[in-house]
Amino acid sequence: MDHKRITFLLALIWTIVAVLPLFFGGTNFIMHILIMCLIWSVVASCWDLIMGFAGIFSFGQVAFFVMGAYASAIISAQFSIPPIFAVFVAGGITAAIGILVGLPCLKLKGAYIALVTFAVHMILEPVLKGDIGRAMGTGGSRGLLTIEPMHIFGYTFTTASPVPYFYLMLLVAVLCSVIILVVIKSHWGTAFLALKDSQEFATCLGVSAFKYKLRVFALTSFLTGMMGGFYAHYVGMLSTRMLGIDLFVTLMVILVIGGVGKFPGAIIGAFITIAVNELLSPLGPYRPITMGAMVVILVLVLPDGIVGLFERLFSKKQHGMTH
Amino acid sequence: MGGEQMLRVTNVTKKFGALTAVNNLSFEVRQGQVFGIAGPNGAGKSTVYNLITGLYDFKGTISFKDQDISGLPPHRIAKLGIARTFQIPQTFPSLTVEKSIEVGSYFGSRKGFDQNHVDQVLTFVNLSDMRGAPTGSLNLLQKKMLMIGAALATRPEILMLDEPMAGSNAKEIIQLMDLIRRINQDLGITIILIEHFMKVLTELTETLLILETGTEICCGDPQKVTSDPRVIECYLGDCDD
Repeated sequence: MDHKRITFLLALIWTIVAVLPLFFGGTNFIMHILIMCLIWSVVASCWDLIMGFAGIFSFGQVAFFVMGAYASAIISAQFSIPPIFAVFVAGGITAAIGILVGLPCLKLKGAYIALVTFAVHMILEPVLKGDIGRAMGTGGSRGLLTIEPMHIFGYTFTTASPVPYFYLMLLVAVLCSVIILVVIKSHWGTAFLALKDSQEFATCLGVSAFKYKLRVFALTSFLTGMMGGFYAHYVGMLSTRMLGIDLFVTLMVILVIGGVGKFPGAIIGAFITIAVNELLSPLGPYRPITMGAMVVILVLVLPDGIVGLFERLFSKKQHGMTH
Repeated sequence: MGGEQMLRVTNVTKKFGALTAVNNLSFEVRQGQVFGIAGPNGAGKSTVYNLITGLYDFKGTISFKDQDISGLPPHRIAKLGIARTFQIPQTFPSLTVEKSIEVGSYFGSRKGFDQNHVDQVLTFVNLSDMRGAPTGSLNLLQKKMLMIGAALATRPEILMLDEPMAGSNAKEIIQLMDLIRRINQDLGITIILIEHFMKVLTELTETLLILETGTEICCGDPQKVTSDPRVIECYLGDCDD
């Protein structure tokens, strides 16, 4: 999709999202879901950037999110750094860890990168729960129960009144989506796609695989870690339960529904997935089965997700107009 | 024959486990030459390209304009002025034709990105009309042209072509031969050409190197090389050319 269409689609999505509190602002439950949609839309977009655009099968996105959440909560508590700054420091820490994880991945391909990055995910839970985690202030198995809420210029954001935090998250999500759009449409994005399509040819044309792969690890882990921080200061508590399979699968479903490598598909996917997940909650234990069945059907019917469908419809329309 | 020494390969050996793909190989390519490399399948021709362009590590020395490039990563070698194509056409299906050419200009050219040069390259390889097309929509010849175009966009001093005629019909071979001549004569780019078609090699090249199981068996004037009994025995003996 070209630059203009993505910009138009982003503007349309964020305009619609921005007016939702006019209809649902009085219902805290729905506002809470919308805030989660905004957070997951950024995390899923980062995953899409590294996997869908750069072709790196990184399965460490949830781990970076949890690292950022814990880092921000601990930094703000132990060093008395205001949460609004702590989230950026947490982003910096996860970016550094992202680069460390990315370094061995430069020598690997495909499934092996998935294994290494998923190993980071697997290692994180025992680290956070164990002696090392407790020494760092993670609270061990109990987790963190009293995380300082976000406050800016003396105003404290609370879950009891979620609309202001919704707009804060909307601002953050808009900025992150603009950053991702700029990256995709810049020479970074061209390098990512060239390396994904043919690394040998791309490097023989002067593209540094080392530089651009590390950059995508650093950028996506920074934004993901930062969103983890915003999540921690919103919900006020953290535990390693987030490292369970549920969140991981939810993010995968978001990408499948939106379309892998089809930005801003991940943003649309986040709102649909989270909303459907909540609507299906009366089904109880049958909810994951229903979600799973939906994913299978969607993969078969819409292999490129919703944005892929838009692209096909648009190209058909354009083709029809030229004949 | 040719100008100053451009590329020197000295005592280069490459092993894959127990297999010696390139065995103590030495040769040099002079400025402005079209230098041919031939040999039966598995002779190590493409491996030599992979060594020169930094895709594999090796023992020995490779120097470009008296600068040792052994051990440099492929993107640094590309920036120095060595570009290549691949036997199986490599394109970027996620990019358009123009964007693919831009990759070479933006990342590989020492002079930096130049839209005018990209336009010139598109015209040179006859893909101007396809600039907005996705590379997946191109036919085999167009994919080869695109690969050559992207390599030319790096403003190379040496262009290494790996079996450009493979899978082409007679008409396409004539087109490709004409393109190679124009690259060499009009743009002044030194060319190394791996090819199986002896007729192409004898018509285009000034020096021809014949490899067998990674070892040089003959190197020199193409007419003399093709009549060498060792070459006939190992390579041409199986060929109708």
